[in-house]
Amino acid sequence: MGCPIDTTLTIVLYDLIRRGMMDTFLLSLTVLLAGGLFALLTCKLFSLMKAGYITITAVGCMIGLYAIIGPLQGTEVTTYSISWLQIFTLSFSIDPLSAFFLIPIFAICPLAVLYSFHYMDKAEQRLRIGVNFFFLTFLIIGMALVATADNIISFALVWEIMSLSSFLLVIYDYHEKETRKADYIYFIFAQAGAMFIFASIALAYSYTGSYSFSTFAVIPANIKVIVFFLALVGFGSKAGMFPLQMWLPHAHPAAPSNISAMMSGVMIKMGIYGIIRFYAILNATELVFGEMVLTFGMVSGILGVVYALGKNDLKKLLAYSSVENIGIILIGAGIGMIGLSSGNMAMASFGFAGSLLHVLNHSIFKSLLFLGAGIVLKKTGVRQIDQLGGILKRMPKTGSAFLTGSISISGLPPFNGFVSEFLIYYGAFQGLLLDGSPFIFTMLAILSLSIIGGLAATCFTKVVGIVFLGEPRTAKAADAQEAGITITIPMTIMAVSCLVIGIFPTPFVQTAFMALKSIKPLVPVGSEEVAVLTGNLAIAARIFLAVFLFSMLLRKVLYLRKEITHNPTWGCGFTQGTTRIQYTGTSYAMSVVDFFRPFVRVKTRYSGIKRIFPRQTTYNTSVEDISEIALVDHLAIPFLYFMRKLRWIQHGHIQLYIGYIIVAIVALLLFV
Amino acid sequence: METYISFALAVLAAPLFPGIILKVKAFFAGKNGPPLLIKYYTLIKLLRKGSVYSTSTTFVFKLGPIVSFAAALTVLLFFPFAGQAPLLSFHGDVIVLFYIMGIGRFFTVIAALDTASPFEGMGAAREVFFSTLAEVTIFTVLILFYRMSGSLSLATYFTGENPITLMGQSGALILLVIIAMFMVLLAENSRVPVDDPATHLELTMIHEVMILDHSGPDLALIEIGAFLKLIFYAAFITQLIFPFDVLNGITRGLIFLGILSLIYVFIGITESIMARFRMDLVPKFILTSFALVFFAAILTMGVFQ
Repeated sequence: MGCPIDTTLTIVLYDLIRRGMMDTFLLSLTVLLAGGLFALLTCKLFSLMKAGYITITAVGCMIGLYAIIGPLQGTEVTTYSISWLQIFTLSFSIDPLSAFFLIPIFAICPLAVLYSFHYMDKAEQRLRIGVNFFFLTFLIIGMALVATADNIISFALVWEIMSLSSFLLVIYDYHEKETRKADYIYFIFAQAGAMFIFASIALAYSYTGSYSFSTFAVIPANIKVIVFFLALVGFGSKAGMFPLQMWLPHAHPAAPSNISAMMSGVMIKMGIYGIIRFYAILNATELVFGEMVLTFGMVSGILGVVYALGKNDLKKLLAYSSVENIGIILIGAGIGMIGLSSGNMAMASFGFAGSLLHVLNHSIFKSLLFLGAGIVLKKTGVRQIDQLGGILKRMPKTGSAFLTGSISISGLPPFNGFVSEFLIYYGAFQGLLLDGSPFIFTMLAILSLSIIGGLAATCFTKVVGIVFLGEPRTAKAADAQEAGITITIPMTIMAVSCLVIGIFPTPFVQTAFMALKSIKPLVPVGSEEVAVLTGNLAIAARIFLAVFLFSMLLRKVLYLRKEITHNPTWGCGFTQGTTRIQYTGTSYAMSVVDFFRPFVRVKTRYSGIKRIFPRQTTYNTSVEDISEIALVDHLAIPFLYFMRKLRWIQHGHIQLYIGYIIVAIVALLLFV
Repeated sequence: METYISFALAVLAAPLFPGIILKVKAFFAGKNGPPLLIKYYTLIKLLRKGSVYSTSTTFVFKLGPIVSFAAALTVLLFFPFAGQAPLLSFHGDVIVLFYIMGIGRFFTVIAALDTASPFEGMGAAREVFFSTLAEVTIFTVLILFYRMSGSLSLATYFTGENPITLMGQSGALILLVIIAMFMVLLAENSRVPVDDPATHLELTMIHEVMILDHSGPDLALIEIGAFLKLIFYAAFITQLIFPFDVLNGITRGLIFLGILSLIYVFIGITESIMARFRMDLVPKFILTSFALVFFAAILTMGVFQ
């Protein structure tokens, strides 16, 4: 026993702390589960149920955040496993990558839950709200477990818990036909996606013979490509990667807004987690992985924002904007993978770090925007952008928070969206000194990012300008009133976080870099280089802020003792008439959308002007998603046709059905 | 010290140069034209006045001029005038700069939409579309410069041992960049043939129509911001043309000023001899500039050398 007593003591203590991390994490999940049960049990007492549920969930998430502090600082990975049904082992562990994805889960979910206090205010629906809270708990727990699942079985199990609980959340307004249809589409996409993931896992299992993720690295290289591609399709459909994004614009408008905020802000990131995790465990360094991810990223990014521009339904627009941001995240990941393949570690580190940081950033501002859109929708009852207007005057707090979120999501300094996009740009520029196809790909990535940046600004100037500024276009919009305090507080917190990450980026970037440790072949660049870069970025943001404050002061001075008058907007453009002569969102976006034909289909219905004294004319345009059209025309309809031909199998004779079963079993026994 | 002087000079002299454009245009029209200092007189006049605010507007309308002015001023802090080291510089600053310009534009646009005027909405829609396209050209230029110098900062592009200029190693490629950047300058600063600053019909305007409802010191801030933005692009092109082997500080400054004025003269000539494009031709014009620099960027690939 050469081990000195104090070293042994340190080891024991360290072990305790380590185990403590996992126990704390499990404790937080238990508290969350207790909250869900509480909501279910007390749903008769409406306000108590809401207040209690919110408090317990907030406490649970706080404990969860506390549990991941250690892993985020790079302490040793801890694992927790239990056996299930005798033959399976469920295993969960928190490494830095898992911990990073747990941040949005534990930070955004309580805010979205707090929002529901005033948002879900119909006491007569209390049973439904209680059930909704119960499934919400399962969604949070499911997501937290997805981020920590450590083997095939546990991953598949918790992935389904997450998918099914979100399915049950979307269907809150089940009496509406539209909602049921939207949720059905979501269900199909979620389950089809899961099938791809299971296929990928099964293929991997057939080569490794082990449930553990850590054995994936030994799969032959050509099989790795297939495993990864199947996983990419499955996770991509969850994340909203083009062309598998179809469910997003259906499910998000159908769901209550706090649920959309959590699904779009947090849940779809689990798809990204899956892609990065599978990439890491496959230990794949071929160029094709990066090029595949990057291509999907560029297409999702550009088409996502173009469709967002074209949409007139506020929540549909935000759903497509999520597709765009998933595109940016995938571009970052693709840059990281290409960097890894070409041995350019600076490129790899900054690409992956930017991608991860954008996951966090997007979870903040997209939740903020969905919460804002939700309350505007609730207060006005209007979904169509072109029927709103002037909301900022009527809902100043909501409007200001939404404006902040819009600037952040457009990736403009000094807000957080810029920090992550900058890191991705920075990584991509490192790749420009490569030759051959990596050069072409990184060049295209930079160009795509710049197009996406410009279009995102276009898209969100449209949202802010048409919805929140100007004059109300309808009476409903004019009657809007400011929301309750539990609605404005979460939004204000999110808006402030956007600015804080923009001005103090260093700790957040460092946390993202810490998460890179889980991507094994990657050797992150030195922390000094990162510190210098983020320091400079912070200085630039603060200088801009300083110049801005200086200009504000200058303006104050210039307006000293000046005469200020108020009048209507200059007459030539805006006289007498109605507020409906304002520019609409549709016309604002149309020239850009037109530019992207034929990737966007614009359907125009125009009655035309006939006769000398024309009757009322109508003009209507809608932007249609080509992936949706292609999927319906080339997959769903032929498939239905084929299935109709097989309908004779279903005839209703029970004895023949039993015959089918016997034949199937015999066939299986003989041939498999 | 020279750094501060050159920055201050650039800011103070920015309103002078548009006067040159007006003089050139007057010369082509056979007129005397307004005095060279006309823009200063306009600014002083505006600063003396009060303002009228539309009852439709919110605080966003007042933020518009402030942010666009602050953005233009911040960008100049990073620019190495006449090869002087700028006030601030770091690896990666160009990306930050073009995005700071982006936030300036964002606020100009939403301030325009805040007035509820359909004209301003129309102008805003054009502005965001064209500037998105111009941004693509700019980032292609950055890609090309990175291939040439391995740098991402204005200061290292234009100062130091091996600046990027027409006289340098890949001068032929820089020629393409100069043409493309000149086209971007015209598009981004609302000059003919993209936009006509002298037009009187709101329906045909882009930038001018967005600021219709601004008045007094607010309008002055917008105007100064526009002058600063113009001088940024003009100085960018000047640095590309600049022969770098002149060492003396004063001579260097004078040559810089000379080339800079020449660029403004050239803008004036372009405005005098060209009509403005129909709106649907503008994207093609801007994409031509993209094609030029994209071609240049492809030429730097090893395969083709």
